[in-house]
Amino acid sequence: MASLRELQSAFAAALRDPSAPCPVRPAGNLAIYRNNSTHSFRAALESSFPVVRKRVGDDYFRQLCMRYRERYPSRSGDLHWTGRDFPAFLLEHLHGTEYAWLGDLARLEWLHELASITRIESALTAEVLANFGPAQLEHLVFTLQPSMSLLASDFPVFTVWQANQTDNAPPVEQSLPGEYGMVRARIDGPEVRQLVPGLFSYLSALRAGAPLGEAISSAGLDQEGVVSALGFVFTDGLVCALRDGRSEKRES
Amino acid sequence: MPRLETRGVREPIPARAGIGLRAVHHDALVAERPPVGWIEAHTENYFHEGGVAVRALERARSNYPLSLHGVGLGLGSVDGVDREHLSRVKRAIARFEPALVSEHACWGHAGGEFFNDLLPLPHTDEAAVLLARQVAEAQDYLGMQLLIENVSAYVTFGHSRLHEWEFLAAVAATSGCGLLLDVNNIYVSSRNLGIDAHSFINGIPIGSVGEIHLAGHARNGNVLIDDHGSQVCAEVWQLYRQAVDRFGALPTLVEWDTNIPALATLVAESRRADLILGEARGLAA
Repeated sequence: MASLRELQSAFAAALRDPSAPCPVRPAGNLAIYRNNSTHSFRAALESSFPVVRKRVGDDYFRQLCMRYRERYPSRSGDLHWTGRDFPAFLLEHLHGTEYAWLGDLARLEWLHELASITRIESALTAEVLANFGPAQLEHLVFTLQPSMSLLASDFPVFTVWQANQTDNAPPVEQSLPGEYGMVRARIDGPEVRQLVPGLFSYLSALRAGAPLGEAISSAGLDQEGVVSALGFVFTDGLVCALRDGRSEKRES
Repeated sequence: MPRLETRGVREPIPARAGIGLRAVHHDALVAERPPVGWIEAHTENYFHEGGVAVRALERARSNYPLSLHGVGLGLGSVDGVDREHLSRVKRAIARFEPALVSEHACWGHAGGEFFNDLLPLPHTDEAAVLLARQVAEAQDYLGMQLLIENVSAYVTFGHSRLHEWEFLAAVAATSGCGLLLDVNNIYVSSRNLGIDAHSFINGIPIGSVGEIHLAGHARNGNVLIDDHGSQVCAEVWQLYRQAVDRFGALPTLVEWDTNIPALATLVAESRRADLILGEARGLAA
């Protein structure tokens, strides 16, 4: 008699390949499990990447799901993570084609997915700056909302994403310039927002742990831009903590 | 790990009808507070630290006793139990403090691939021993008893030597788990595989069942599909009466996961179970 390991191995092989020997009867009913498994996998991707699906159509999205699954089968009992490698798969699968932009669109949608499940930390207001002297300001290091992600693309993916939040959106001309933006959690769901390059560079530097002065320099902000950028992170509730980076270095 | 500001309803799950918590009902459940005895949520939907769904469960949790029902552990997998998944279940238990936690008598992964379905086990001594061992290990790790549910089946293994009810009874006796008796699954399996549903219910030991599930199913040719997408059928209500006669009034969940109706329709379906439970309590009084 076959061992349980042999039975589960044979069952799994028959799920993957309908022509493989079937360890159960009626053999035709194994297709119900195969269909359930395929459907669950595809439904998870449809849920995470609705705009990619909308742009490529159901038939091609189905083909992409099948090829993605061959390359990246589910590695978790929690379907939520099914799409984790889908952006990388699309970037590789569509590299050099006119659809290469779909990889970046998928990156944006995956960031949206992650923001939908990330906790929102309580945010500081700009009044906290009064705790620091003028000489300290350029050395301040910010801890930003953990849900905030930044994305730079060679394609107009933020415009595509925004346009496809309604039904029957027309295609977006892919020859438009690349775009920068952010995704973060809000109380009623994730927010996707396009950013101007200077603000993107500034936020990227802050996210990487650079002190405020360095972030401002790297973004090439003028005086007006500095006030605006500093106001942005506080009014948008992005600052969870801040500290004088120098004192940390001294302590260490 | 953030804790609930309000601990919520901490009483045990009452011997009344409850409903499955679905995203489309989140707002209505809080706004209308329908008179259901308790709610059940799919554990994996609430693994995360934040998000709309987690906050919705926290709100609902403050009004109703909670049961967490997992679908992803695959406790009968010979490759073992995914420790990361199990740790997430533990964190969800710590966060939401459910009165009941349940999973399925199934397997779900092999060779590193997860099939994300409730796959059937052969009813053999080897499978019963493995499932019981992994259920016991999960219970030790989680620090609480699990209820293990019988799954709908569309196939049989020629290797099975036990009736399904004997298999479940052995797992419960060995591991110390309770059983979650899904009456619709019994009906679906009985019609698909020629099993006697009445013998199934009569073969489950009295005292081993902690919860009952009811749901609708679909028909595809000669095969019944457990899709949780319609009302409970008359035959399943009859089997439910038999189960309540045998096991007494128990927490009973009406599941409706596809073609999800308005909350009022789901609540009305749960009222039918409550009437049968009320009759059982009346007889017992």
